[in-house]
Amino acid sequence: MEFKDYYQTLGVAREATADEIKKAFRRLARKYHPDVSKEKDAEARMKEVNEAYAVLSDPEKRAAYDQLGRDYQAGQDFRPPPNWDAGFEYSGRDFGGGGAADFSDFFSELFGRARGAGAQRGARFDARGEDHHARILIRLEDAYEGGTRMITLRAPAVDEQGHVTMKEHNLNVRIPKGVREGQVLRLAAQGSPGIGEGKPGDLFLEIHFEPHPRFRVDGTDVYATLRVAPWEAALGAKVKASLPVGAVEVAVPEGSQSGRKLRLKGRGIPSAPPGDLYFVLEIVLPRATSAKARELYQAMARDLAFDPRSPE
Amino acid sequence: MTTDLFKATLLEETVLRVDELAATCTVTREWVIEHVRAGVLLERAGPDPLGWTFTSHDLIRAKHLHSLERQFDANPELAGLVVDLTEELERLRARLKREGLSLD
Repeated sequence: MEFKDYYQTLGVAREATADEIKKAFRRLARKYHPDVSKEKDAEARMKEVNEAYAVLSDPEKRAAYDQLGRDYQAGQDFRPPPNWDAGFEYSGRDFGGGGAADFSDFFSELFGRARGAGAQRGARFDARGEDHHARILIRLEDAYEGGTRMITLRAPAVDEQGHVTMKEHNLNVRIPKGVREGQVLRLAAQGSPGIGEGKPGDLFLEIHFEPHPRFRVDGTDVYATLRVAPWEAALGAKVKASLPVGAVEVAVPEGSQSGRKLRLKGRGIPSAPPGDLYFVLEIVLPRATSAKARELYQAMARDLAFDPRSPE
Repeated sequence: MTTDLFKATLLEETVLRVDELAATCTVTREWVIEHVRAGVLLERAGPDPLGWTFTSHDLIRAKHLHSLERQFDANPELAGLVVDLTEELERLRARLKREGLSLD
C-alpha cells in the first residue's frame, strides 16, 4: 500500500492552518467539480481531494495522521504500526458527502480500522449499517426489456487480524423494465452491515445509460436518425428501421424534407407512461459518379423548375 | 465472491420518507425539513413532513445540496441555485445529445 501525502494533494504546507486547508480544499473542489470541470481526470482528482480534506479538516484525524506521517513520503510503501491510533478518538460516521466507500485503501486501513476498534472497545450498541450509493451504466436495451447487470462494488471489510481493507464483491442486479436515466434503484440490505443487532444499510444505484451508437435518449423519449433516399422522401415510402429491441416498418410521408421527425407513439422507454420514439429523417443523395447518375441529375436540373434558395 | 441475483426496486415504487432520506444522505431530519421549507427540495410539499415522499430526483438533489453546503459552506438558497443551474446544464446537454450534437 502506498503512503498518501494529503498535504501534497491539497497543495498546502504541513503547518497550514485550518483556514488555509479549507481555502485550498474549496479552490480544488471548484476546479475539479465533475459537473463543470474540463479536466479529464476530474472525478478521480475530486475523490482524492475529498479524502485528503476528510482527514485534514478533522483535528483528531489530522493529529493522528501527522504523528504517523512524519517519516513517510508520498508513494512510499506503507504499513501502519500496530496500535498506531491508540489514544485517538474519531467522531464516528462523518466521512463527508462521498462516504467511506469512496475512499482509498490507505484511508480505510487507517481510519476504518480505528472505527472498528472503537466500536469493540465501547459499550455494546446497535446501529443500522450505512447506506451505500453508486452509479451504474446500463444498456438502453436493458431499459426496454429489463435485464441483469453485474456490478462490482468496493466496501470496507475486516479481516482476521482486524485490518480493514477494501474488498470487491460482485452483485447481479435485476434491472426493472422501463427505468430511465437519473432514476435510483434500491437494493434492500446491500449496504454496510449493521452493528450489533442493527439492520444492514441499503444500496442505492443511480442509473445512467451507456452511449448507444444509434439511439439517443432524452427522458423516456428515444431519438434516432433515419437515412432515406431522395425519392423515398419525395414520393413517400415504407422503410424498415431497427428499434433498440426489434424492428418496424416506418411510413415516410410523401414530400418529407431532411430534419422531419416521425413519431412512433409509445415506442420509447416502456415506463409508465411510455415514452415516444422519434426518427429524424436525413436525406442522403446518391453520388453522381456513374454516367447514368449524372444523366438523371442533369434531367432533373433541366426538367424541374426547382430553386432551393427561393422562399417557399 | 457473491453472484446471487438481487432484485432492485425503483425508488418511486418503494416510497422514500423523510427519515429515510435523512439517513441515506447522512443529514439530520431537521436538515431535510429546513430545505423543503426553504423551497429548494421537494417541489410540492404539504405541511406535515410525515406525509412527504421523495423521488429519485429528490434524493440526488439532496445529496448534491448537502455536498455543496459542506464543501463551500453555502447556505441552502445558494446551494439550491447551484443545483438548479447544474440541472439546467444537464437538460441542455441532453438536448444537444438528442440532436446528435456534443460539447466535445
